[in-house]
Amino acid sequence: MAVLSKKNRSFSPDKLTSNRALFWIAAVFAIVMIAPALWVLGLSFKDNTLLMRGSEAVFSAPYTLKNYTDLFHSSLVFRWFLNSMVVAVGQTVGVLTLSSLAGYAFARLEFPFRKTIFVIVLFGLAVPEQAVIIARHQMFSWLNMHNSYLGLMLPGMSSAFGVFLMTQFFRAIPKEIDEAALLDNTPRFRIFWKVLLPLTMPAQATLGIFTFLLAWNDYWWPLISATKKDMYTLTIGIASSQRNFAQTEGLGFLAAQAVFASLPVIIVYIFFQRNIVTAVSGGAVK
Amino acid sequence: MAESYRRSRWSNALFILPYMTVFLSLLVFPLFWGMWLSLNKSDLFGGARFIGLKNYYRVFSDPVFGQAVWNTVIFVLVSVPTLVALGLFLSLALNKTTRASSLLRGLFFSSTVLSVTIVTLIWRFVFIPGDGLLALLFDKMGWEQIGFLSTEGWSLFSVGVATVWWCLGLPMMLFLAALQQIPSDLYEAAALDNASRWRVLTRITLPSIKSTIVLVAIVQIVMQFQLFGQAQLMTNGGPAGSSRPIVLYIFDTSFIRWDVGMGTAASEVLFLIILLAAMVQYWVTSRKGEA
Amino acid sequence: MSATIDINSVTKAYGALTVLDDISLSIEAGEFVVFLGPSGCGKSTLLRMIAGLESVDKGTIHIGGERIDTLPPGKRGVAMVFQTYALYPHMTVAQNMAFGLENLKVDKAEIDSRVQSAAETLEMAHLLDRRPTKLSGGQRQRVAIGRAIVKEPKAFLFDEPLSNLDAALRSRTRLELAQLHQRLGSTMIFVTHDQVEAMTLAHRIVVMHDKKIEQIGTPMEIYQRPATRFVAEFVGSPAMSMMPITGIVSAQSSDQKGATLEVEGAGMVATQVPLPASFALDGATMGVRSEDTHVVQPGADGLNLTVTVVERLGERTLLYGKLDTGFEMIVEDSGRSTVRAGETVKFDFDRSALHVFDGTGRAYHMAEEA
Ligand SMILES: Nc1ncnc2c1ncn2[C@@H]1O[C@H](COP(=O)(O)OP(=O)(O)OP(=O)(O)O)[C@@H](O)[C@H]1O
Ligand SMILES: [Mg+2]
Repeated sequence: MAVLSKKNRSFSPDKLTSNRALFWIAAVFAIVMIAPALWVLGLSFKDNTLLMRGSEAVFSAPYTLKNYTDLFHSSLVFRWFLNSMVVAVGQTVGVLTLSSLAGYAFARLEFPFRKTIFVIVLFGLAVPEQAVIIARHQMFSWLNMHNSYLGLMLPGMSSAFGVFLMTQFFRAIPKEIDEAALLDNTPRFRIFWKVLLPLTMPAQATLGIFTFLLAWNDYWWPLISATKKDMYTLTIGIASSQRNFAQTEGLGFLAAQAVFASLPVIIVYIFFQRNIVTAVSGGAVK
Repeated sequence: MAESYRRSRWSNALFILPYMTVFLSLLVFPLFWGMWLSLNKSDLFGGARFIGLKNYYRVFSDPVFGQAVWNTVIFVLVSVPTLVALGLFLSLALNKTTRASSLLRGLFFSSTVLSVTIVTLIWRFVFIPGDGLLALLFDKMGWEQIGFLSTEGWSLFSVGVATVWWCLGLPMMLFLAALQQIPSDLYEAAALDNASRWRVLTRITLPSIKSTIVLVAIVQIVMQFQLFGQAQLMTNGGPAGSSRPIVLYIFDTSFIRWDVGMGTAASEVLFLIILLAAMVQYWVTSRKGEA
Repeated sequence: MSATIDINSVTKAYGALTVLDDISLSIEAGEFVVFLGPSGCGKSTLLRMIAGLESVDKGTIHIGGERIDTLPPGKRGVAMVFQTYALYPHMTVAQNMAFGLENLKVDKAEIDSRVQSAAETLEMAHLLDRRPTKLSGGQRQRVAIGRAIVKEPKAFLFDEPLSNLDAALRSRTRLELAQLHQRLGSTMIFVTHDQVEAMTLAHRIVVMHDKKIEQIGTPMEIYQRPATRFVAEFVGSPAMSMMPITGIVSAQSSDQKGATLEVEGAGMVATQVPLPASFALDGATMGVRSEDTHVVQPGADGLNLTVTVVERLGERTLLYGKLDTGFEMIVEDSGRSTVRAGETVKFDFDRSALHVFDGTGRAYHMAEEA
């Protein structure tokens, strides 16, 4: 069989590693993949009473924005959105700060027990949430920190992932840069702040977006920590709305909530797809 | 005597102090406190009494826990191979530089960024009897409707479908990253050797990403063992506990029945399982580094 | 602005591995000194110890009479140009140059004027607003040098700064560095393992090998009167050919000024090298540079060389081959040589340009003319 076709002389490895049939199967599969999302999107533009009579109404006009305008009048959904923003942004800032400082130190500075401490921190990566969450819940009860922004943000900052990632990034910066700065008589913190930190901006973006998504989507901790309705995050709020799904009279309204709640992450995803992919696959594949 | 800028100093550790404070107080301490709790009879607010391994005995003799372990194992056994196989297939199909495949890659990964509540909400809209997308489809086909979330035998399966839909992006991306690491001159050499596509796949591509396949499988095992939100939100473990995974058992025990001792005991058991998987993962990755 | 550098009994070890052993060296103010040696011999380490980037295990370093080995790098008054340039990627060329001065709280106007004049010296005033990523290798090199110049240091340290440049740019930059040194008159230390760089730039070359300094000398001394067999073989291209000495016929004949030796493959050789009575014969060799050899007519006196490789360099031709006894030898012929591989030619060498090395590697040369 002729692998290199006569017509197209230039060789591309694509030709040997994939073929059109596979691609089209994947494309069909993509339709299956996106159908549920489109279905919900469709529902969100339908009048609730129309839907009561049968959901096949989705496939024909009329469509309405009413569910979305209702959303704007529902103070709780907005409050939840705001809570999510505060928590996700706060947690992101916290993680970036802590990880950058620690990553710099682990990568560049010498201090007693540096290697041992780093290994212990790496072990932290292996600790799953359920191994700590019950004790954490008790701790936060003692400290009276449930139903507070700080209480929602703090646990996510203990993740070792950011420290690990930033340490890798700092290590990747050539040592000569620090040395040049030392010869330029630069104090230690200024080297960190003025010389190295600006070089980690791509890493900051990656880690920041990743943390934001994680915080925005976090389910279990806010579920047990935010028990007051006005301290719900959007994720928990949506969960509480769907808990009485069977009795709900507003399928369309619920669908609109789903769309509204996923908008921020979808937007972040569209703009920062590359960073997100780097973050999730960076550690695993070298 | 002689000064070195690299000298070890305690003051350098100030840079890790903020993180270590959070790490120790919110990860290390709760980890050990949880272990301690599992050896005590206590509730979330009141006092505690040391009872040794009794909680573990209670957990292991609880048929509900046994069922949860069984459900979880079945779930992992089915969902992980599905995720690996589908991820591998998609990565092979979409490992091209064309716009269309990059678009599809983006699409397949996009569900990963959604929160579990959105995912379950979407799939409930698909699964609900009467008005769901599948109900409509079944009606059209003239098939009898199925209570996907309320029928024993179907409920865990439905949770699995939503899970695969949600988690598929990561294996695909990891495989793609591995595929891109394969030097293209391998393929050029194969082309000069007149190798067929099938032989290229089985002799070059798959062997080159073998370690990634193992890695992805282990990562997925660790993740799927922690199945929680989907089951809690879609079926709440029902009907009759047929879709209750271990983590939901832990949650219900600790935060619904407030039996903290038993809840922590169950979570330590799960932690042990996951730790084992993580150790295998470490072993695999470090071996990969040597190869 | 230029200062002496005194290195006194400096020792350095990484764990159990000793890298530098009891090194002493004095550099005069304004001198251009090159550290030359094979890879891994500790050149960079010594340079970095002067800069303060490596600690000094034992010994002292003084710059301009002031002891500096206990000072942090930034306080030593030296500037360093790295092989990889180590420019700050997120700063413009001007900011790169100004950064060190800002740390020293030099006032703004002064910084500007120094940056300007350095940029003019290096002909890169038009690059001041660019980022390093937007520069070519040669331009980055200039910025790195500029960054050193603005600091007006007591000494410049260069660690193989030319090795990332292509051949043409390298020789041009070499020339410019020499001019720069003339203009500034600063003390400069330059590390390289390229002997052409060493020969062309240095006032004095420090040849290093195996934790030690082998020889310190002017380029001509290093080339013509290498102190050891290592230096003789390391400096010069092609490398000096060596023939084993099997016996000394006379250590110091009266008519000639040197010893007559029995050399394996060459028979009796009357040299102009006087040898002491204590000369260690075991392992002794006689060295000949290819430029001191020449091909002779087939009938004439000389040694046979069976040519294995012919290297035509244009103005001359190098014949690599074997003597009858099997020793390898490199012989020079004219650029128009017609010798081909496989042929056997006769050659002779200049008896007044021989080098003799005893069993310990110590070199002996013909007496210096007063
Ligand atoms: N941080 C270190 N730890 C351990 N050994 C080191 C370290 N830095 C250098 N060495 C060793 O010290 C020796 C001298 O290294 P150095 O970099 O000074 O060599 P060099 O002469 O500059 O070589 P090159 O021409 O390759 O740059 C080498 O054997 C090297 O392996
Ligand atoms: Mg070096």
